Amino acid sequence: MSHIINFRSVSEMPDVAMSLGTTRYNKTGSWRYLRPLYRNRTSPCFAACPAGEDIAQHLRWVKEGQYERALTRILEENPFPGVCGRVCPHPCEAECNRAELGGAVAIHHVERFLADLPIARCLPVVRPIDPDAPAAAVIGSGPAGLSCAYQLARLGRPVTVFEALNEPGGMMRVGIPPYRLPRAVLDAEIESIAALGVPIRTNKRLGDTLSWDELKPFKALFLAFGQHVSKKLDIPGEELAGVVAGLDFLRQVNLGKKVKVGRSVAVIGGGNTAMDAARSALRLGAQKVTILYRRSRNEMPAIAEEIEETQAEGIHFQYLSAPVHVLGDAGHVTGLRCVQMTLGDPDERGRRKPIPVSGSDFTVPADMVITALGQDADLSPVAGSVDIRSGLLAINETGLTSCPTVFAGGDCATGFGTVAWAVGSGKRGALAIDKYLRGEALEGFPPLREHGSGGSTVLAAPREVDPAVVTFQDINQAYFESEPRAVQRQKPVGRRVKSMRSEVNLGLSEADVRCEAERCFSCGTCNGCDNCWVYCPDVAISRLNHEDYVIDYDFCKGCGLCAEECPREAIAIEEELKWKK
Amino acid sequence: MTQILTPQYGVSPKVRSQHDAVPQDEWMTPGHVACPGCGAPMAVRYALKALGENTVVIIVASCWSIIAGPFPYSAVEVPLLHTLFATGGSMASGVKAGLEMRGLKDTAVLTVAGDGGTFDIGLQALSAAVERNEDFIYMCYDNEAYMNTGIQRSSATPWGAWTSTTPVKHPKDQPKKDMVAIMAAHRIPYTATATVAYPEDLIAKVRKANSIRGSKFLHVLAPCPSGWKTESNQTVYLSRLAVETCLFPLYEVEHGEDYRITVWPKQKQPVEKYLRLQGRFAHLKEDAIAQIQENVDREWARLLKKAGAAPGGGAC
Amino acid sequence: MEKVMMGNHAISYGVQLARVQVIAAYPITPQTQVVEILSEFCADGRLDAKFIKVESEHSVMAAVVGASMAGVRAFTASSSHGLALMHEVLHWASGGRLPIVMAEINRTLGPGWNVWTEQTDSLAQRDTGWMQFYCETNQEALDSVLMGYKIAEKVRLPVMLVLDAFVLSHTEEPVNVPDQAAVDAFLPPYEPRYRLQPGAPGVPGEPHSFFGLVGPEHWMELRFKMQQAMEEAVDVSRQVGAEFGRTFGRPYDLLESYRMDGAELALFTAGSITGTSREVVDELREQGLSIGLVKLRMFRPFPYAAVRQALAGVKKVAVIDRNMSYGCGGIFASELRSALYGSTSQPVVFPFIIGLGGRDVTPQSIRDIVTHLRQHDRPESETIWMEVKR
Repeated sequence: MSHIINFRSVSEMPDVAMSLGTTRYNKTGSWRYLRPLYRNRTSPCFAACPAGEDIAQHLRWVKEGQYERALTRILEENPFPGVCGRVCPHPCEAECNRAELGGAVAIHHVERFLADLPIARCLPVVRPIDPDAPAAAVIGSGPAGLSCAYQLARLGRPVTVFEALNEPGGMMRVGIPPYRLPRAVLDAEIESIAALGVPIRTNKRLGDTLSWDELKPFKALFLAFGQHVSKKLDIPGEELAGVVAGLDFLRQVNLGKKVKVGRSVAVIGGGNTAMDAARSALRLGAQKVTILYRRSRNEMPAIAEEIEETQAEGIHFQYLSAPVHVLGDAGHVTGLRCVQMTLGDPDERGRRKPIPVSGSDFTVPADMVITALGQDADLSPVAGSVDIRSGLLAINETGLTSCPTVFAGGDCATGFGTVAWAVGSGKRGALAIDKYLRGEALEGFPPLREHGSGGSTVLAAPREVDPAVVTFQDINQAYFESEPRAVQRQKPVGRRVKSMRSEVNLGLSEADVRCEAERCFSCGTCNGCDNCWVYCPDVAISRLNHEDYVIDYDFCKGCGLCAEECPREAIAIEEELKWKK
Repeated sequence: MTQILTPQYGVSPKVRSQHDAVPQDEWMTPGHVACPGCGAPMAVRYALKALGENTVVIIVASCWSIIAGPFPYSAVEVPLLHTLFATGGSMASGVKAGLEMRGLKDTAVLTVAGDGGTFDIGLQALSAAVERNEDFIYMCYDNEAYMNTGIQRSSATPWGAWTSTTPVKHPKDQPKKDMVAIMAAHRIPYTATATVAYPEDLIAKVRKANSIRGSKFLHVLAPCPSGWKTESNQTVYLSRLAVETCLFPLYEVEHGEDYRITVWPKQKQPVEKYLRLQGRFAHLKEDAIAQIQENVDREWARLLKKAGAAPGGGAC
Repeated sequence: MEKVMMGNHAISYGVQLARVQVIAAYPITPQTQVVEILSEFCADGRLDAKFIKVESEHSVMAAVVGASMAGVRAFTASSSHGLALMHEVLHWASGGRLPIVMAEINRTLGPGWNVWTEQTDSLAQRDTGWMQFYCETNQEALDSVLMGYKIAEKVRLPVMLVLDAFVLSHTEEPVNVPDQAAVDAFLPPYEPRYRLQPGAPGVPGEPHSFFGLVGPEHWMELRFKMQQAMEEAVDVSRQVGAEFGRTFGRPYDLLESYRMDGAELALFTAGSITGTSREVVDELREQGLSIGLVKLRMFRPFPYAAVRQALAGVKKVAVIDRNMSYGCGGIFASELRSALYGSTSQPVVFPFIIGLGGRDVTPQSIRDIVTHLRQHDRPESETIWMEVKR
C-alpha cells in the first residue's frame, strides 16, 4: 500500500498503535540533492577497437555462457570475427584496464572462440534486401569492401561487390597466409555475407574488366581498393631475379600458385608482411631465413606475438641493418650489402630515426630477397575523377570523396593497415551511403582518428554510452583479485613449419574463455553484478529482469552507495536540480 | 578447431551475479526514514532476507524505532513489535514463549537492538535471556554510540572517538566493550560478528543461527554517516575496511569455545586508513593512532590463537 | 473442592483454572508462593504453560507483554519494589491494550526494608492505565483471577488484583476451588483481537508493526479509546461479577455496601481491613449506632456513580487509607473527595492513615476511628494519622 492513511474519527482507528500500511507512502526521494543514474561509460577496449566492437558488452554475455548472443553482438559490427580473432593486433588489449591486475583480458582469443563456435553463422540483419531500393556498388572485396557491403545488406540495401582478382577477400586472402588464417574460416565468413543476397563478382577490375558504364545503375559507389602495391627498395640491384616484393610473393602463394623459394632467404622489413613472407618462405622450403630491419626490436611494427612466433620458428632477426646494394651474379641475386644503423632522434611520428653508421658495411648472403617495406594504393582507375592526397583517396569523416556519389574507405583512403580498421571504415561508409541514398544529411559522424589512437566509433547498433573512458582508477578494486591471463595453445614449432596450412595458434579452451570473460572488469558496462541492488539501504533499486535495474526515484535518497560500490563505473551521480524547470 | 564442451548455447546456467546467495525477496519497504547511507537498514534488510516470512521482529528503542516509520505505517513486512530500551532479551523471551504455546515453534524471533540497548541498558535482560538459552536471535546493529538521541557515547564507542558526550578535549577514554566475549562466556550455542559490506556472510550467519535452537547473538557493525562524520556513500567501504584492518574481524563462536574466522582480509590494511575517513577521529594524533594499531594487532593475534589459526593464516 | 490455603496459593489455583499459557516471574517477598506453586503445576503438567524465570521484574512484565502480544493468556505476580521496577513496562501493557492479569501483593516501599502490608505500592501505579481490584479474602483473590481475565479480555486492558501482604497472602483460609469445567464455561479460551501473526506456508501473515512512533496528531484519539475502554469496564465488571455469582454462587460488584441502610456514618475501606471493619460495624450496630461500611472493590476504573450512590445520605465517612501520598494524603480519601465533589449529597470526609508498614489494624483501631469520627464535625487536618507515637 502506498497511500496516505487518514483517520476521520476515533472509530476508524485501531485500538493500539499498529501499522495498517507500509512506508511506501513516504516519498523519501524528496530528501535527495544528488541523484544516481545508470549511465554506461565507454570501456577502453571499445574506444580502442577500430571496428567499433562493443567488447565489454559481448564479454558480459560470454561470462554468462550466452555465446550466441555475444557472437551476434560482434557480428552486428564486424562480420569477420574469425579473421580478426586470428590476425588483429588487438589494440583493445593494449588499453585494457585489467592489464594492471593480472594482465589484459584475452579479448582477441575470446573473439576467435566465438567465431569458431560450431553453429550455423547467422548474420543479424535489420531488414531483408529491398530489390527496388537504390543500389550501391562496392569496388574491392577486402575487409573494407565486404564490411561496407555487409552493413548495406543488413540495412536492406541492394549492393553488388566487384573484385579484381578471381577470389574474394582482398588482403585477408592474398596477404595473410593460411597458417595464420585458415582458408575455411575466411571462406565461411565471406560466404555468409554473400548468402545475404550480395553478389560478389570476381575478375572485375575497374577500368579494365569493369567499365564505368557497368557502374551507372548504382546510385552510390564505395571504393575499397586496398594497398596492394609494394614500395620499392630503391637501391641498386633491385631488378635482379630473385628479388621479389613481399605482397606479390604472398599473393602468389596464397592464391595457390607454385612459387619457387630460395635456400637462403633475406626478408627486408619489420611489419606483418615481413613476418608473413619469412614464415611462408620457411614453410615452402627455405633452409635459412633472415629478417633484416633497420631499426631495433622495439620499433618493429609487426604484432608482438607474430614476432615471437617467427623467432620461435628459427627465423633469424638482424636488427639495425639496412641493405644498400643488392648483389648478384648472372642476373640473379646472391646477397645483400648492408650497413649497420643506429637510432637517432624520433621523427614526426615518434619513431626514432635510423642513421647509417659509416664504415659498417657487411654482407648477407641470400639467393632470394623479399621486400616488405610498406604498401601503396593503385589509384589509377579513379585518378582525375576524385581528389588524392598523399597517395590516398581524399575522404571526409563520412568517407565521402570529392565526388558526391563516391565514397571510399579501407587502406586506399586511410592507409591504416589492419583488417579491423578496414572493417570500421567500411561500416562508416555503409552508414553514410545509406543516409545519402535516403536523402538525409550526412551528419553525426565522428572524425576519423589517426592510426593507433582510438577507433572508429561508428556503430551499426549503437548503445547509449557516455563518451568518458573508464580508467583503472575508476574500477572498484575491492571486487577483483589479480588473476593471470590464460595462455592459448600453439602447435609446436616442429610440426607447424611443415605446411602452409597447419594453423599455428589453436586458441583457448572453453573453460579458459569463460575465465577470461570473468576477468573482464566490464568497464563502464553494467553486467548485472547486483552490487547496487544489494547495497541500497533504501530498497530503492529493483531488478526488472536479469539485466536491467530500475532506481525508484520516489525513494532514492541520493546516498551514493550504488555509484560508489559499482565495480565498473556504470553509475553516474548528478546534481538533483529540482528547481530547474 | 576449438572444441566446445557445452552442447547448447545461450542455455547455460546464467551466472547471475556475485550476489547469488542473497535471496531476492524483500521484507523491507522503501520510504523508511533512515539517514542516507545508514548501515542499520542494510543489516536488517539482509537479516530479513535470511529469515523470510516466518519471522517476528522485535525492535528495541534505537534508531530503528524511528526508521521503521510512524503509526500507522511500517517499513517491515513481517510482524514487528516495538519495545522498551532495556527489554530486548525479555520481550523476545515472552514472545517466543507465547508463539510456542500457540504451536508456532519454528517462527524465528529476531530482536534488533542498537549498541546502547545491548551493551548498556539492555545488557542485564540480554544476559538473563541467553543464560536461559532462550530460543531467539539477538542482532545488535552497532553504530558505536547512542545515535538516535544525538550521538552520545555508549560502552560500544571505540577508544578515542568523539561523541557529543566525549568531546574532542576529552574523547572516550575506555576501550570498546567486548560484547562477543561476554556472549561467548555465556556459552550460548552461537555468537558471531558480521557487517554490512559482506551481505552473504551476514545472511549465512543468520541462517545458521536460525537452524540452531537456543540463544544466538550477532554483533553487526553498521557505520553511521551522521555520527561517524563520514560521507553517506562510504558506508560499505568503511565496513569493509573495518574487516580488512582486522579492527572488526568477522568470526563465529560456538558454545563459547570453537572460534572460526569466516572472512579473511585479502591484505591487512593499516588502521589509520579506516580512522582517517571518519570525522569522529579527526582529532587523533599519531601516538593515539599508533596505540589503536597496537590494540588492533594484539586483539587480532589473540583471535587468531583462539581460532587455532597460524599468525600467517589468511592474509594477515 | 474446598481447601484451606493461603492467599498466594488461591491466586495460583485461579491461574491454573484460567488455563494461563505463559507465566513470567521474579521472586519477591511476599509473592513467592504464588509462583512456586505455579512452577510445580507447570513442571508436572497440571498447568500447560511456559514459565519464564526472568532476572528482574522489569523483565517480568516485558516477557508477559511479549507473550500477550504473541496471542496467549499471560500472568505474573509481584509486589512493592518489584512492581515499582516494572513501572515503565506497565504503561507498555496498558497502552498496548493487553489483557494481562497480575497479582499484586501490597507491600511497603522502602527504605528501610519493610516486607509487610501497605497499599502505597499498588496505588502509586494508579495512573498506569491498569484496572485495579482490591481483594478482601483469599476466596475473593481466586475468584478475581477468573473474573479478571474475563473483564480484561473483553475491554482489553490489563488487570491488577491486589492482596494484602501476609494478612491475606500468607494467611490460610478456606477457599472453594471451582470445577475446571465450570471455569471453562465461564472463561473461554483467549481470542486476541490483535497479535503477532507470522506467515507460514498456507497461513497468511499479518505483518503489522505494533507500538511504533505516534505523533501528536494521533495520540489523543488512541488514548481517548483507552479511556473509553475504562468506562466500558465499569459496566463490564459489574456484569462479569453478576455472572460469576450466577455461575459459582458468589456474586461480586464494583463495591459492596454493608449495612448502609439509613447509615449516618460510614467506613470506606479496601482490602483486608474490610474484614476487620465488618466486625466492628456489626458490633456498633448492635449498640445502636447508625453506621455502615462501603467496601471499594474496583478502584480503577474509579466507580464514581456507584460510590456517590453508596454514600448518598451519609453525614460523615471515615476513609481508611493504609497508604500515603506524601505531601497530599491518603489516596482513597483523595479519590473519594474528588468523586463526591459536586454531588448533591456530600458527606464530610475524614481521611485516616493507619497500618502503614504492616502495623496491625485491629478491631480496636477501627473503633478508635469511629470514635474520632463521632467526636469531630470536621477533620482537623488533611491526614489523620492513627496510632502514631507522638
